Amino acid sequence: MVTITIDGTEVQVPAGELLIKAAEDSGTYIPRFCWHRRMNPVGMCRMCLVEVEGPRGIMLTPSCTMPVNDGMVVHTKSPTVEKAQEGVLEFLLLNHPLDCPVCDKGGECPLQDQTLSHGPGESRMVEEKRHYEKPIPISDLVLLDRERCILCARCVRFSEEISGDPLIEFMDRGNAAEVNTFPDEPFASYFSGNTVQICPVGALTASAYRFRARPWDLREVASVNPLTTTGDGVTVQASQNEVLRFLGVDNDATNHGWLDDRSRFGFEWIASPDRLATPLAKSGDGHTEVSWGEALGAAAENLSAVIEAHGPGAVAAIGGARGTNEDAYALASFMRSSVGSPNLDARLDDGLGTHLLSSLAGKGEIGDLETARTVLVWAADLKEEHPVLYLRVRRAAQELGATLITVHPTATGLADRATHTVTYRPGEGHDLLDRLRAGSGDLADVRAALDEGPVVAIVGRTGLAEDPALAEAVTAFARDLPQASVLPVVRRANTYGAIDMGVAPDLLPGRVAAGGDAGHTGWEKADTSVGLDTRGILEAAADGRVKALLLVGADPLRDVPDADLAARALDAVDVVISIDCFLTDSTAKADIVLPALGFTEKEGTVTNLEGRVMKVNRIVSGPGQARADWSIIDDLAARMGRPLGFESAEAISLAIAEHAPAYGGITWFLLDWKERDGVVAPRDGVEQPLQYIPTTSLRAVGSGGAKRGGFALHLGRLLYDDAVLTRQGASIADLAPGAYAVLNPTDADRIGANGHVEVDGHRLPLRRDASLAEGTVAVPFNQPDGPPLGGSSHVDVAPGAGA
Amino acid sequence: MSWSEESLQRADDILARYPEKRSAVMPLLYVAMREDGYLTDDGMRQVAELTGVTPAQVQSTASFYNMYKREPVGKYLVSMCTSISCFLMGADDVLHAIEDEAGIPAGEADDEIGVEHAECIGACGGAPACLVNYELIEGLTPDKAKELVAWLRSAKPDVINADEMQALFGGKTSFDWGIREERGAVGPFPAFGPFGTADVNTDALEPGRST
Repeated sequence: MVTITIDGTEVQVPAGELLIKAAEDSGTYIPRFCWHRRMNPVGMCRMCLVEVEGPRGIMLTPSCTMPVNDGMVVHTKSPTVEKAQEGVLEFLLLNHPLDCPVCDKGGECPLQDQTLSHGPGESRMVEEKRHYEKPIPISDLVLLDRERCILCARCVRFSEEISGDPLIEFMDRGNAAEVNTFPDEPFASYFSGNTVQICPVGALTASAYRFRARPWDLREVASVNPLTTTGDGVTVQASQNEVLRFLGVDNDATNHGWLDDRSRFGFEWIASPDRLATPLAKSGDGHTEVSWGEALGAAAENLSAVIEAHGPGAVAAIGGARGTNEDAYALASFMRSSVGSPNLDARLDDGLGTHLLSSLAGKGEIGDLETARTVLVWAADLKEEHPVLYLRVRRAAQELGATLITVHPTATGLADRATHTVTYRPGEGHDLLDRLRAGSGDLADVRAALDEGPVVAIVGRTGLAEDPALAEAVTAFARDLPQASVLPVVRRANTYGAIDMGVAPDLLPGRVAAGGDAGHTGWEKADTSVGLDTRGILEAAADGRVKALLLVGADPLRDVPDADLAARALDAVDVVISIDCFLTDSTAKADIVLPALGFTEKEGTVTNLEGRVMKVNRIVSGPGQARADWSIIDDLAARMGRPLGFESAEAISLAIAEHAPAYGGITWFLLDWKERDGVVAPRDGVEQPLQYIPTTSLRAVGSGGAKRGGFALHLGRLLYDDAVLTRQGASIADLAPGAYAVLNPTDADRIGANGHVEVDGHRLPLRRDASLAEGTVAVPFNQPDGPPLGGSSHVDVAPGAGA
Repeated sequence: MSWSEESLQRADDILARYPEKRSAVMPLLYVAMREDGYLTDDGMRQVAELTGVTPAQVQSTASFYNMYKREPVGKYLVSMCTSISCFLMGADDVLHAIEDEAGIPAGEADDEIGVEHAECIGACGGAPACLVNYELIEGLTPDKAKELVAWLRSAKPDVINADEMQALFGGKTSFDWGIREERGAVGPFPAFGPFGTADVNTDALEPGRST
């Protein structure tokens, strides 16, 4: 720490800190446009000029490029500084159109605000201002108004320093300087929405929000991004009971203020006209609207009948990851205690072992990337599945100098920053791991890098056709690396919370292993044995062993990789009860459909991939008669004569804090008032029952799948796919690229493919990627009109007819 | 890849000179101009592909510097200095003579000739001076300038060389130019080996020779 004097007051600040940040952190706000605390300084806008006393007298200096020195004397409000600020603002406003009444930024605009506080009030500029065509679309989501731009380079720097896709740049110079894209290459970045948020004027606006509201008419509430597992802080803004905008919140632990575009613009499903607003009962081929009493009565009667005829084990539940932890706890309590069945799973056959996810939660944090020397990513393509984590890893490699190693069937979005890009044919991962452990051959350098700690390892399934046991083996290896933190990653939003709450066949609430001596103190009687996972449930349903299926925000027909199995299961069971926001392909087959509240319509907690528990909040009421999951489940239990007695979501949260061991002491009060960035469970002093036990020979949790053809299948997800919440968001619904097949050019030439290929008989456009391991075909999962390939690990690939 | 084999070879030679590929963007832009006569979107895209940056970044660089021409400038770019020394020595009259003879106002071009104002070209001692494809002529007069333009139109030289043009059309030089340069520019970009140059016909260097 050093001591500096700001406006006559001595303050202690970290040595080497930039003056603008040191001043802000010690209570003096210096106006600025270009400087942003998550990006490198450039000193472009000159708004942050201050006077610094030095050996050559007092000099005006931009505080964003000046590091503090011990004894530095700074004046931020002297007449000279004020004159400089007035001058800078007069220049910045020379060409600014002052079309504030029709500008989205008006009312929340730094240029407006700082002109009020520091500006000259009037302009001497009488000449014609610069004119441009306005606005011009620079991507599907973002529009650019060059007249308003003050050339601060925040968007340009973001795209180069943070997101790594510099598609927006300064063009020309002098009076003609402007921000723009290359003529036929739009700003098609997964992160383009962030530039709208950090633009200090109204130059960049988002098509989803344009002219929808004035900032002063918006109400807002702090919450957590519902579409990813990173726990990104968001501000949800609404007007007239409609959510209009998401803004990223700078949460130091998770997202640094950034959001991917699917998360930022993907809120439109909340107000979709297709939302379910009334309970439905099956009648003929369709459904008819019924009252809650009728619907719940019929559901309770059906479930009771199945339990009586076939035993409680004939009831199974799939889903629960889209709700809050409170919803999940209610579901687990309902299944294990009211019904008495251990057959429940929040994963949709696309996850990792629950013990891996739960036992490592809280052990490694995203923040460990800030100090990592080596980062190993052996998981899905982070850019596609965990976009904010991708930004954090990119930062570690690009700005903080960590050695980055990616292991994947193909080069990933991180390829340009990866020190080592290791590719392998799906199915040969275990061999690769053995070679990596031994450091043999060309992997010697990689092995040597992994011996340089601290190591952060991000581990997951690289694709849905891959054996999940591989991730367990990689974890066992990575745990022993020097100062290792391992982050096991899955994609579905609140999977971690749901599993921690016991929506898993082999866990009880609070990270307690099922089937052991430990029970659950919150339940009087319950089946605490190990039950069936989603694949097991679907197989049992197809075989007739499971007779009733409860779907909670789950669409197995689309989300389970083996769509064929899901279809057979749904056709075979006697009763399907669905709690959902939409009539999905699977819900459409349900006997009873119960409309659920969604994110922003209910309060609760969620858990991110670190095991960080965070509070989500309510700002709009739901559609029609929709109710929260927990309340539906509680009512259903009562009607079956096995009441749970939950009175409110907060009451459930207190039950969780009391009865779920790893969540001990984590209450809404704590999250609302003390730990706004969330708390990693277990808290200090709280013991977590489930400990990590390395397993290398685990029963396959997921499909693994049948070996049908000569090509190994890589089934990865893309950011934009055909999932229901994406499909229901007008801004992002059309961004999914559609299905295609990728081959290594060598393979493509060998089989003589050109233009199109047939993958297991499904005709797909062919793309070539030399980084894809030979003998592999990559097909994105769940794209519009995509082929159902999820049941297999190997497929046949033939040249497409009529190439 | 739309470039000729020769241009791609030049690109490889240039890329080999830099430890960071993106450092080669600026010299490669001249190769792109040589390929197409000016800087096209395709040319910038090709440079981006070769250097691993985005086309937007290439355009950002290209648009900052005014020697990268993003509009056609003809085969011969005549850049008349109008900065202070040349201005005082009658550059405006020379420029008007060039415009009249070429039939092109400054800032525009036809298929053969482009005419432009230039800021100081560092030849104050030999003012007024101009550049043709960045090859210098000093001590111009309006009449000599007309001859120069007429010569470009009629002789259509494949190679532009300062010594040759100075001998034919120049006057007082700012200093003794020394050894004769035997290579010259082959397009509206500087004569520098990696971008492409060609041998000059040395016969043409004899003073007083006209076509």
